Amino acid sequence: MTLSAADVAHVAVLARLGLDGAERERIGSQLEVILEHIARLQQVDTSSVSETAQVGELVNVMRDDVDGESLPSAVALGGAAASDGGYFVVGAIQDNELDG
Amino acid sequence: MTARTITQLAHELREGSTTPRRLLDNALAHAEAAEPSLHAYLALTRELAERQADEAGRMLERDPDGASPLCGVPMALKDVLCVDGVETTAGSRILSGWKPPYTGTAVQRLFDAGAVCVGKTNCDEFAMGSSTENSAFGPAGNPWDVERVPGGSSGGSAATVAAGTVPYALGSDTGGSIRQPASLSGVVGFKPTYGRVSRYGLIAFASSLDQIGPLTRSVEDAAIVYAAIAGGDPRDSTCDPRPLGDPLETLGRGVEGLRLGVPREYMGEGIDPDVRARVEEAMAVLEGLGASLREVSLPTTHAGLSTYYIIAPAECSSNLARYDGVRFGLREDDPSLTEMYLRTRDRGFGVEVKRRVMLGTYALSSGYYDAYYRKAQKVRTVIAEEFARVFEDVDALVSPTSPSVAFTMGDRDDPLSMYMCDVVTLPVNLAGLPGISVPCGFSPELPVGLQVIAPRFEDARVFQVAHAYEQATEWHTSQSPLAATAA
Repeated sequence: MTLSAADVAHVAVLARLGLDGAERERIGSQLEVILEHIARLQQVDTSSVSETAQVGELVNVMRDDVDGESLPSAVALGGAAASDGGYFVVGAIQDNELDG
Repeated sequence: MTARTITQLAHELREGSTTPRRLLDNALAHAEAAEPSLHAYLALTRELAERQADEAGRMLERDPDGASPLCGVPMALKDVLCVDGVETTAGSRILSGWKPPYTGTAVQRLFDAGAVCVGKTNCDEFAMGSSTENSAFGPAGNPWDVERVPGGSSGGSAATVAAGTVPYALGSDTGGSIRQPASLSGVVGFKPTYGRVSRYGLIAFASSLDQIGPLTRSVEDAAIVYAAIAGGDPRDSTCDPRPLGDPLETLGRGVEGLRLGVPREYMGEGIDPDVRARVEEAMAVLEGLGASLREVSLPTTHAGLSTYYIIAPAECSSNLARYDGVRFGLREDDPSLTEMYLRTRDRGFGVEVKRRVMLGTYALSSGYYDAYYRKAQKVRTVIAEEFARVFEDVDALVSPTSPSVAFTMGDRDDPLSMYMCDVVTLPVNLAGLPGISVPCGFSPELPVGLQVIAPRFEDARVFQVAHAYEQATEWHTSQSPLAATAA
């Protein structure tokens, strides 16, 4: 399989990684080698098995719907680069055209 | 405190021949002396440690018999483990300066037992790597030869235990990140059954594979630390609440009558002949102790690496989406929100993290999901079923931990050859099994590790086999050149 430059650029956008041209090229060619190795997955017969998403036996773990301890908002905001009046501050979101 | 174990230090603290404060001072002095060549730590936490040592002293005075064996004993934490108010970076620039607002469950349990935290240890960025060379803050060295890697990703934890600074450290293991550095650094490293130790407060890499576990100087110590950190936790819904029992109960039972399997695929191509020879000698020791050995087959091993390198990057690409410059960590300001994301993540992540986020995003992207992610999840089922079938006939498996001994820094600069380091440890994570690495000799003067694997929730059987082997040999008493300088 070959990974085109456009594929790599597309995946970088999906991953929100602003890679420069040289980095895209290097990572792209490394991914190609890795994907070539990974192709051996297709040799395994999986016609009679289902997917494993997790190996634990626990399902639908719930707790009682009661208030518990939680972080005070000032503490939760404490690691943010910018906050104001109990909110995280970010730039305008109307420009998000990368996926378009 | 050269080569002294938790058990020995606990005894000395009770007979009054030392104090928590004295142990701490020795550990800090040794860390400071070793650091220029070792770089095992990203930060020493002197203030926290002094507070904890004083409190441990009071706990021991109040109730020496009731206090935990961990009370007053110095230790270190891999820098992926959150401690309230203490900088936690996961070895990444994107979290440089971040101070978590809470302490993780496993760490809190150790602190409650009176542990004294000396510092946060170096690791591959977000635990992605097998050499600690991917740390954004520079690589760690191996105490047996500082030009070589200590393994990874919990390389700093392995190095500081092997250097004799602290008797134990916590690490995390997603594909071998506790066992492989333990093997390369000549210490014991234990990865518990998936679901036995809460992941609350562990910075996530691949959530269906990650487990916290100890690196120690003895199997008994590994069991002691495991007993302290394991058990149900309402803050991690994958943490199993079933009773733990006493993980130390099986120590000393020996291996007489146990059936041990040797996976053919773990002994063949790609395993250094010298490593294989040491492991075969270890198997002969176990046979001499009364275990019966037989060859078994895990035929899908050849696809284990491929399965792992779809599932782990897929989960990491999702987990690492949270580093967006908004709620914590680095932000590269830009008037456009999208540009801010792109610039922040480009600047904050190192090349291996970017590679895995790219690989995972690709495997999950439209048009490739079925061929890669869904297929890998199915092969994961096949691999887990093969283990389950083999465990119908044997009680545990024994194998090498790592295909090679510690390699020279910079030697593995292509990603795939680095990924191969974990070829016999990562299937254990895919199946959620417990596994340990215990020292089993040298090649020629670098440590080799023996891996013991058991069925899910049979963590105590892992300790039983490893302990029997350890007690029959002298390898665990060997000290690295750097440990010889410990006070």
